[in-house]
Amino acid sequence: MSEALLEIEDYRGGFRTETGDFVPVLHGVSYRLKVGVMTAVVGESGSGKSLVALSVLGIQPPAFERTGGRILFRGTDLLGLDEKGLRAIRGAEISMVFQDARAALNPVFTVGRQLADVWQLHHGGGRKAAMGQAIEALRRVSIPEPERRARQYPHEFSGGMAQRAMIAMASLICQPALLILDEPTTGLDVTIQSDIMELIVELSRTRGLTTCLITHDLGVVAETCQEVVVMNAGRVVETGSAEAIFTTPRDLYTQRLLSASQLVEAA
Amino acid sequence: MLGQPLLQVRELSKVFPVEGGRKLVAVDGVDLEIVAGETLALVGESGSGKSTVARCIVRLIEPSGGDVVIREESILRLQPSRLAGVYRKIQMVFQDPNASLNPRMSVRQVLDEPLKLHLYLLKSERAARVKELIEMVGLTAAHLDRYPHELSGGQRQRVGIARAIAVSPDIVILDEPTSSLDVSVRGQILDLLLDLQERLHLAYLFITHDLQVVQHVADRVAVMYLGGIVETGPTRDLFADPRHPYTRALLSAAPVARWGVKRTRTRLAGEIASAIDPPDACRLVGRCPLARPACASAKPPLLDIGAGRAVACPVVVG
Repeated sequence: MSEALLEIEDYRGGFRTETGDFVPVLHGVSYRLKVGVMTAVVGESGSGKSLVALSVLGIQPPAFERTGGRILFRGTDLLGLDEKGLRAIRGAEISMVFQDARAALNPVFTVGRQLADVWQLHHGGGRKAAMGQAIEALRRVSIPEPERRARQYPHEFSGGMAQRAMIAMASLICQPALLILDEPTTGLDVTIQSDIMELIVELSRTRGLTTCLITHDLGVVAETCQEVVVMNAGRVVETGSAEAIFTTPRDLYTQRLLSASQLVEAA
Repeated sequence: MLGQPLLQVRELSKVFPVEGGRKLVAVDGVDLEIVAGETLALVGESGSGKSTVARCIVRLIEPSGGDVVIREESILRLQPSRLAGVYRKIQMVFQDPNASLNPRMSVRQVLDEPLKLHLYLLKSERAARVKELIEMVGLTAAHLDRYPHELSGGQRQRVGIARAIAVSPDIVILDEPTSSLDVSVRGQILDLLLDLQERLHLAYLFITHDLQVVQHVADRVAVMYLGGIVETGPTRDLFADPRHPYTRALLSAAPVARWGVKRTRTRLAGEIASAIDPPDACRLVGRCPLARPACASAKPPLLDIGAGRAVACPVVVG
């Protein structure tokens, strides 16, 4: 078994309602992300797949209460870190791409400025050099005319272009060891989705990134991921290689999810 | 084609004025025909105009030109007072049942409303019909006193479907009915729709971007791009052998949830062009791998290639 960069161990917790009742939503979630591997965490709404990922960066909703478990990154429990310790990890070691890229970008700064600021924050240097890095990163994710695009604001970007810019920020500007993508192509058209996924795979491969793709779309998983974690109702129901999950799923829920995703008979 | 078409859409267009005296051409000369009992899927990506077509057919949006004929009656020329009669024949199911069900009405009220508006029934007859409807969509009488927020997404969509079939329409327009649902629920809703179609001999205009759903439910497909239909034909043939470069790009981009499926992608350059003041040219010009100079000088019409198929591309038709 290869080395794990991130290990989630028996992570549990829930939400407290207005009336003070505690509703558990995560029931002992455990999975590992192996170094240099692209792992998918799949599940339907309410499975807890995003909640676990947000917890990794300490950005879970404030109403969430942890009741147990550990999240180990290179052997250190992230849940034991204070805000300062977390800040040293966020971006530099672990970065995240969210579903709605235009909402994740700041609307009042140009896209180039946002990328350049993040570059300076992590790597120092002058403003001009940082802007050069920003433009280079946009070029690298196939944004046409990166010099012009860098001067534009997020609302001038299409959803697909904004997601490319976010991927540029999360992978090329931050240069993390672990990249977490939470439904990065949900809401994008299939032709755009396909291009974005190819970009993610290519960046992960060339930069040796450990990647975690959180998605409900098994089609995307089959084409891009090596490992799969299947979640349902706050539990991990099955883990394994993508080939095993798709060809010989053992858990009943995995089998159901798979057949629901395959409306059309194999050609 | 067997039988008289139930619904005919002829040269439908919708132009929205935008600032600076410019025009956004959302729908540009669309022709469609649906016969009783069949499912036509209208497929396309965002901005293709597929939902605008649906809204124009039921006059939620007033079309700028063309005609919509239901059972030989043009609904665009009808007096508003006679529109209600048309809506008995054509009903619509929306994507987001959260937004399309009144949150302050119980399920019973939601289902009773169209009966009151369209049918002359006694109160007891309406109550019986409401109960029949809720059971037809796989829910029970216990659900009738609930409010939309007390239902799951799948149950809400079942209520939306029950409302649409309440007045026994001939044709139902389904606008992305499964797009906001989890995959396991998607299958159940599709099964319900297929079951109701068989029982009630409904025709569906199924608007979706989900190509798996299209293959599962549609008899015929029309592919839209930037306001126009670029290809149409029987589902099986069109998926087996897509001809238009856009159809090929679209079908080859859709991922398959199976291990070891190899796709050969047809790629288009860049992103969808603006629909504002479009030139008289092929809509795909500038993105198409097969483009020739002639493609930029006139908009190609749909060309009949036999077997019920048509393609708006003289380059591939040859």
